[in-house]
Amino acid sequence: MAGIDVGGHGGKRASNHEIPLIPFIDFLLCLVMFLLVTAVWSHMARIEADAKVPGPPREDEQDEPPKDKELHVEMRGENHFQLVWKEGSTVINTIDVPRKPVEVSGDITYPELGKKIESEWKANGAHRAATDKKFDRAVLHTDNSTPFADVIAVLDAIYVPTREFTVGGQTETVPAFHVTFATN
Amino acid sequence: MSGEKPLSRFHQPINVPGRRLLHHIGLGFVRKKVVGGGGRAMNTEIPLIPFIDFLLCIVLFLLASFSATGELPVDKNVKLPNAQNAVDMLDAPIVAVSGTHILVDGIPAGSTRAIVDANRLTRVDELHNVLKAKRDLWTQINPGKPFPGNVILQVDRKVPALVVKSVFQTAAFAGYPAVSFMVGRMAADE
Repeated sequence: MAGIDVGGHGGKRASNHEIPLIPFIDFLLCLVMFLLVTAVWSHMARIEADAKVPGPPREDEQDEPPKDKELHVEMRGENHFQLVWKEGSTVINTIDVPRKPVEVSGDITYPELGKKIESEWKANGAHRAATDKKFDRAVLHTDNSTPFADVIAVLDAIYVPTREFTVGGQTETVPAFHVTFATN
Repeated sequence: MSGEKPLSRFHQPINVPGRRLLHHIGLGFVRKKVVGGGGRAMNTEIPLIPFIDFLLCIVLFLLASFSATGELPVDKNVKLPNAQNAVDMLDAPIVAVSGTHILVDGIPAGSTRAIVDANRLTRVDELHNVLKAKRDLWTQINPGKPFPGNVILQVDRKVPALVVKSVFQTAAFAGYPAVSFMVGRMAADE
């Protein structure tokens, strides 16, 4: 047992006090049990997308904003994906990627598509510097009947390339593309 | 002879045998253990202080990671897909989209069947109104602050893309351009 000797022998009361360790350990064990039972182990995450909705015209807006290259990912083909680099409505380059799904514990993934998108971004991406506040944009085109799990698998592949991004003096690794859903 | 003091037992040339303790214990190895002459000590001390330190560390870790809000609500009719390149969750309205209905934070806000039956991109009015009301409430509570416009879609893996697009567009038109899809986290090395 642990004790605290505070000295002095002339007083009336005993000055050595024992800390009751066993009840203390019981209390700590109860606390651990309670916290373990009520703990939340979340495995949820999110995949980002954004919607470009035209707002009201502003007076200070340029007539013709500078056109950035966009990567259009077409997943309507049965046997292959199509990666199309566009600048405005001008098609710059078109790449076909074979559609090879890989099943991982019940979920479909497209690792080959992810690798191809990563190499394409390294070759053609416009915003690769860590200090660049803008991001390259990818637009996902899909068929209306495509199951959502397939859409997520392609979105997951688009998020394979990552880049450094410095904000507020801190550098972090973020996805290289901002993804938009094509609603047509 | 009678007047001489006898020598003490330590000064006698031959020691007089005294009484032997525990002599009545018969078995030799038991006597060894009882007397304390065995190899290992029978009684061992539990090191309490390191044990308490360990418990305190666990308590502090669990308290630091304790969440009073509980688990993220996932609709029982929604089976989420998994993804590797996902980011952490954030605090935002959750729109659950199952094969039959649409819920916003547990409140019914439209039907999926209506979109499928229409077979075209549809604005879901109920969803639009609920999300807009939430946006107005946020603006009233936080005057002067820019609205973040985040919404999380919790979509079942079998729901067709037409429904996803419709919900996505409805959320965007209700003032939520930053749409995220809730997924399960898949290990990167799988």
